[in-house]
Amino acid sequence: MRTSHLHDFFARAGARFAERRGVEIAASVADSTVEYQRVRDAAALSDASHMQVFRIPEAGAIDALDPLLAGNVARIRYGRLLHTFLADEEGCLAADCYVANNDDEFLLVCESLADDSALRALFMERGAAAGMEDLTDTHSLLSLDGYKAWAVAREIFGSDVLGLPYLSVENCMFDGEKVRLFRAGKTSEFGYLALIGRNQAEALAAALAESAGRQGGGVCGLSIHNDLRLEGRFFNLYAEGAAVRDPLPLGLQWMIDFEKPEFRGQAAIGQRRQAGLRQKIVGVRAPPGQDLAPDQALLEDGREVGRLVAACTSHVLGCRLGLALMDIGGAFAGLSFRLDRPDGPEIATISMPPIMPKSLGVKLDEV
Amino acid sequence: MTPKNQQAIDRRKPIIDRLKVELIRRLNLPYEPEDLHEDVALLGSGLGLDSLDALEIVLCVENCFQIKIPDGQIAVLRSINTLVDFVLEEQDKGGSTRP
Repeated sequence: MRTSHLHDFFARAGARFAERRGVEIAASVADSTVEYQRVRDAAALSDASHMQVFRIPEAGAIDALDPLLAGNVARIRYGRLLHTFLADEEGCLAADCYVANNDDEFLLVCESLADDSALRALFMERGAAAGMEDLTDTHSLLSLDGYKAWAVAREIFGSDVLGLPYLSVENCMFDGEKVRLFRAGKTSEFGYLALIGRNQAEALAAALAESAGRQGGGVCGLSIHNDLRLEGRFFNLYAEGAAVRDPLPLGLQWMIDFEKPEFRGQAAIGQRRQAGLRQKIVGVRAPPGQDLAPDQALLEDGREVGRLVAACTSHVLGCRLGLALMDIGGAFAGLSFRLDRPDGPEIATISMPPIMPKSLGVKLDEV
Repeated sequence: MTPKNQQAIDRRKPIIDRLKVELIRRLNLPYEPEDLHEDVALLGSGLGLDSLDALEIVLCVENCFQIKIPDGQIAVLRSINTLVDFVLEEQDKGGSTRP
């Protein structure tokens, strides 16, 4: 199992660790309500080093990456990120990827269902000749998220970072070391990913955590991100992605360039697209006090019409939320079904995202 | 399908269908209507539309459903489903002419 260079730092912060797809992660450092509020109301630092990172010089990047990834790598403008995925040959999800065009290099940052070696082998087969490097073991990736994450980023990296639009990348400096700062995030609050060499990673983590503390936040585990993603309706490879695998019922068509001549899994995805959807993912909401869990069934007139694939607690709404894979005929918001039994509790399908994050009300050009 | 659910679908689906066709046409999106999940984020992540596109979406709703989206109602513009909810609420209030 791969461990993070920041294991000791997060251990000192009180982290409980868990395994995720062959990688040790700092799963939690505090009560989930505390961690949740750190993100929604302040700023929280998490170790995102479970993600695999590759660097490839610009000259060979498009030829190496475009035939693999579903999105159009050739269309990424300088300083911007593309959010797309890698599929297997059957057109099922293998990795959730950011691709950054960072001047003289492209960076690939992946959450993966496969272990490190499988992903490394795939990308290196295409990219080694063009100079691709695997930065996963030589670098750390820190995730800074929250309503006040921008204030932390400004304090550590300077005011210029406030001008970064969502899905962009910029080179910054920390203590003489280069940091690639990605404006990204999947919590629906402000989010940044900071990529730094492993020798300086702990110093940067300490500085970010201290600054987050001054904003009323602190350190945070990765498990709470599952709740934050679902509540904000950001795709989660490790939850609904792993359960469904097919990008089309998951509504990930926006990550695909259907006009590209080639990408991995294209034929299978194209065939399923041509045949039409038979199922689709839909948000659901339980009444207060009612639990929801993956694999529970949704029934209508005693007949199963869908099944939960992910669930979370919404602290904003005070209830459990979920995503259900529904038969296409009933895949609409505004309906009601029974949970698990014909006389089970009533569960409503809802429009997503169901919350309005505080960050959407912040105008960074006015702070 | 229960009558209550069927009734909800019968109201919701025509609005979804019209919005998808219009958004694809007006914003020149490289997708078929079936490719657009109703919960996909319209602005920022997801379809990645910008502030000019947001204005086009507002105009689209106004023209298609004769409903005005008040200034600053960012929440309404977050997904196709949130747009549909807004249209349905306004129709319930009687503040619109059905398309």
